[in-house]
This record gives sequence, structure tokens and C-alpha cells, in this order.
Amino acid sequence: MLDGLLLLLLFQFLGEVLVHFTGLPIPGPVAGMVLLLIALIFRASSLHRVAPAANLLISNLVLLFFPIGVGIVLEWDRYSEYGLALLVSIVFGTIAAMFIIAALLKLLLRRPSA
Amino acid sequence: MTALVHTPLFGLLLTIGAYRFAVWLYQRSHRFPLIQPLLHPFLVAMIPVITMLTLLGISYREYMDQTRLLQFFLGPATVALAWPLYRQLTHVRAVGGQVLVAVVVGGSLAASIAVGLAWWLDAPADVLGSLAPKSITTPIALEVVKLTGGIAPLAAGAVAITGIVGVMMAPVVFRLLKITDDRVRGLTLGIVAHAIGTSRAFEFSERAGAFSSLALGLTGLFTAMALPMIWPWVAELLTK
Repeated sequence: MLDGLLLLLLFQFLGEVLVHFTGLPIPGPVAGMVLLLIALIFRASSLHRVAPAANLLISNLVLLFFPIGVGIVLEWDRYSEYGLALLVSIVFGTIAAMFIIAALLKLLLRRPSA
Repeated sequence: MTALVHTPLFGLLLTIGAYRFAVWLYQRSHRFPLIQPLLHPFLVAMIPVITMLTLLGISYREYMDQTRLLQFFLGPATVALAWPLYRQLTHVRAVGGQVLVAVVVGGSLAASIAVGLAWWLDAPADVLGSLAPKSITTPIALEVVKLTGGIAPLAAGAVAITGIVGVMMAPVVFRLLKITDDRVRGLTLGIVAHAIGTSRAFEFSERAGAFSSLALGLTGLFTAMALPMIWPWVAELLTK
């Protein structure tokens, strides 16, 4: 577990360093994710120790962003003016996107692969 | 004694306790598949937390300070997404090209529809910037909003509700469009409804789940790369 956490922190740091020096317009942790993915592809077995920490964090994502998400209710006064736009975009936008994307994928993957 | 409720210890105890209870309730609600998405831990945990904060007079700002430790782990959690992505990449190499097209087209569509609808209803630039990453997994979305000038709580809420709506609507959409292919089911859920959709995809089949986790990782990656780059241009166009 500790090794996994160490690897995650190391790659996040490497990602931040990469973004700092290249000025790429992507978030540092995302750059870290790409670096870790590349490292896994090339040096897979020695990095498998990342798994326990990675799985723990991913299976509890809701806990990690919950304190930020609760702000949508606690600070609703600040957003209520745009309530209709938010409702339409989030609810109807999601339903519309789902219909269109599912229909497109059905066409795209028409030939069933083995 | 009252000083104790103003410590990180109290904020973390309240949050992790409420979350643990909400997860327990969610797992117990398996017998009621129709209402289960509404019992998502994100929604249920809000009830005890908001009640306690209000009763004890703890402001949102103070609560954010108390729970800084949890928020810190969003960074390592983003990096951690490389692990399931790596595992799925080796499994579905055969249809890689089609999956990539699906992710690029689908990810762009999901973001455009969300931003387009809100823009049409006169939402200002910061609200649009918060809605653009609503179909991608929260740790990445919260990083992306920093670059699109969005509002973090709005983005976190939008992402969670998108996942819940997506999971509730998926069976209806698949039935209406007569979709029985587990690859299509998985990819659609992963592209539109991120991690919440992916756990639903695993209930269709292992295969749907694999495609969904692949789509979740790739859509997050694609959106995090593309959106900050094109956003200044989009924002200027829409706010003219």
C-alpha cells in the first residue's frame, strides 16, 4: 500500500514538473497519469505495486470530492439564478448525449467482432 | 467542548462516517433497482453532513478547510486512473481504432451538448466552464475547471448528477434503440456517465464493464487534453 502511494505521489510530482517546464495546457495530475500509463506499458511488472493504493482511491472517489460537491447545496444562493440552465444542461443534456452517442456507436460497431 | 467541532478531526469524522453509512445503504438497496441510483452515496451522505453543519453553525468555507486532507488525494487519484486504463488497454486492443473514434466523437458531443444548452439559457462563462467537463470523472473534471475558469462545487455536483441521470436513463435508451451489444452499452455508459456509469455497466456484463472503464479513462484523458486548449476560443465565441 505504501509503495503504491509513493509511486502515485512520485508520478503526480513528475507530471507537475513536466507541465511546469513545457507550459502544456493540461493539469499536472493528468500529465502524471499519462507518464504512469507509459511507464506501465514499458516496465509493467515492477510497477504493479501501484495497484492496492490505486484501487483504494478509485473505489472511494465519491468520498474525496464530496466536500467540494456539497457546496452546490450549501452555496445554492450563488447559483440559483442559473437553476434552469443547470437543470436543462445536466438532466436533458445527459439524456440527449446518451441517445445520440448510443445511436452513433451502434452504427460504428455494426459488425460484431469475434 | 464546542472548540472540538471546529477541528479537522470533527470534519473528517463527520464526512467519512456519513459516507460509510451512505455506502452501506446503497449496497443494501440492491433489491430496488429502479430507485437505487437515487440512493447514490453522493446524495445520501449530504443529508447528515448538511444537517450537522447547519446545526453547529459551521460555514462551507470552514468545512472545506477541515476536509483538506481528503481533497488532497484527488491528485493521486487522478494519477491512479492510469492503472485500470492500462489493464483494459491490453484486453481490447482488437477494436482500439473504433474505441478511439467513439471516445473523441462521443466526448466532444457530450461536452458540446452540455455547454450549448446552458449557453442557450443565458448561463455566464464561469457556469459554462463548470459544465463542459461534466461527463468526465470528477478528479479530472476538477482539474479541468481550473483551466476553463469554472466553479469547483458546481462542476463536482454536475458530474455526480450526470452520472446518476445517465445510469437511470441507460436501460430506457438501450431498449428504445434496441441495443443489445455489450460493447455499445459499455462505451456509452463510460463516455457519458464516467465512473458511476461504469459500475452500472459491470451489471450488464463483465465485457460491458471492461469497455466502460476503457471509455471512462480515455474520455477523461481526451477531454483534459483538448478542452483547456480550445476553451479560450470557445468562451470568446459564446460570450460575444
